Amino acid sequence: MKASHLSDDRLIELCVIDEASATEQQHLSACARCDARRGRLRRLLDEVSDTATAAADAAFTPERLVRQQARILAHLQHEGRPARVIAFPAGHGAHEPMVSRTRPGSRWIAAAAVAGLLVGGIAGRFGHDYSFGRPGLSRVIVARTAEQPELRASDGSTATIREVTASISDDEFLNQLEIAIDGPSAAALQPINELTPRSWEVR
Amino acid sequence: MTAAGAAAPLAPLSRDSQLAAEIKGLVAGGERDVARERYGELVAHQQRRAVRIAYQYLRDVHDADEAVQDAFIKVFTHITSYREDRPFEVWFTRILVNACLDLRKSRSRRLRWAVPMSSTGDVPPAEPVTQEQTPEQRLVSRERANEITEAVESLPARQRTVFTMCHLAEQTTAEVSQALGLSEATVRVHLFRAIRKLRRLLERN
Repeated sequence: MKASHLSDDRLIELCVIDEASATEQQHLSACARCDARRGRLRRLLDEVSDTATAAADAAFTPERLVRQQARILAHLQHEGRPARVIAFPAGHGAHEPMVSRTRPGSRWIAAAAVAGLLVGGIAGRFGHDYSFGRPGLSRVIVARTAEQPELRASDGSTATIREVTASISDDEFLNQLEIAIDGPSAAALQPINELTPRSWEVR
Repeated sequence: MTAAGAAAPLAPLSRDSQLAAEIKGLVAGGERDVARERYGELVAHQQRRAVRIAYQYLRDVHDADEAVQDAFIKVFTHITSYREDRPFEVWFTRILVNACLDLRKSRSRRLRWAVPMSSTGDVPPAEPVTQEQTPEQRLVSRERANEITEAVESLPARQRTVFTMCHLAEQTTAEVSQALGLSEATVRVHLFRAIRKLRRLLERN
């Protein structure tokens, strides 16, 4: 009787691959031991399957699946379409001279700005010389302590405007400019400075 | 090892296979937008099964997510190479398994350089919980779930693949042989060995 028991391999086949033949079915009905072995194996496989399924379902909630589906379809929507190229700001390419990227309009504006600066500088220099006749003093700002204008806010609070006075020489003024340019606050303006054409680049 | 193409005849084509054939026709006819809409239905039908397979392989929710997305995108972009006389599920599963294997490879490369943080990943192992379980029962269930997960993970790669596809993805050995490019006899051998090992590991406990 023992020889007719189903082998372990055959039990596996019956659980996951094949249907039992009529003879095997007859044996399983008659042999409690083989039937119990088959039941135990089935329960084990079901347990493995249920555990794996539960783990995956816990990780992938219905909301997550909806989001995943939306991402897949959104990706496919852009599939096969040419990518949009965003132009990089002109002037950052170190290998190309900046002047080649500037438009004629920009050149005129820059040239006018440079010319304005030069004219203003010269005029200021002469104006200072004629007005005060004292070389070394660029400007004298007079303190107005007697008549300070008063601002009144809607809540009644007041504030006074006070004009600060100073008397500085040209050298001191230029020194202060250089200090300001080298200071940390000027670093934020550096990218703009790099994007702007230099006076000698504008023809 | 015989060619997988000479496997036993497969079951009649499923609804999803017919849908995939329809999408292929739409793409071939230049109606890509309509095809994409129809593809959304196909994704919805296959998605749950796909994430279960991918999660079983990768044991990481983000990797599984990525693998499933990659597989679905790849399927649509290569839909014109789908053979309508074959089950869509088999073709799709093959692409999905390849996506999972690629991710496993890249993950192992990544882990070589990464500092280990946690051995359990970002999602706690799920347990077959019911509302009626006591805390002790829940603890036992969790431990058992861990044992099962570890036992499946201890299987050699090929055995695990075959077991996952046959038992969890519910594919026949003929379908798995087609999907993996192995003979059906080889698939059966791997399946036997996988189940024998699982039984040895889990019944002992």
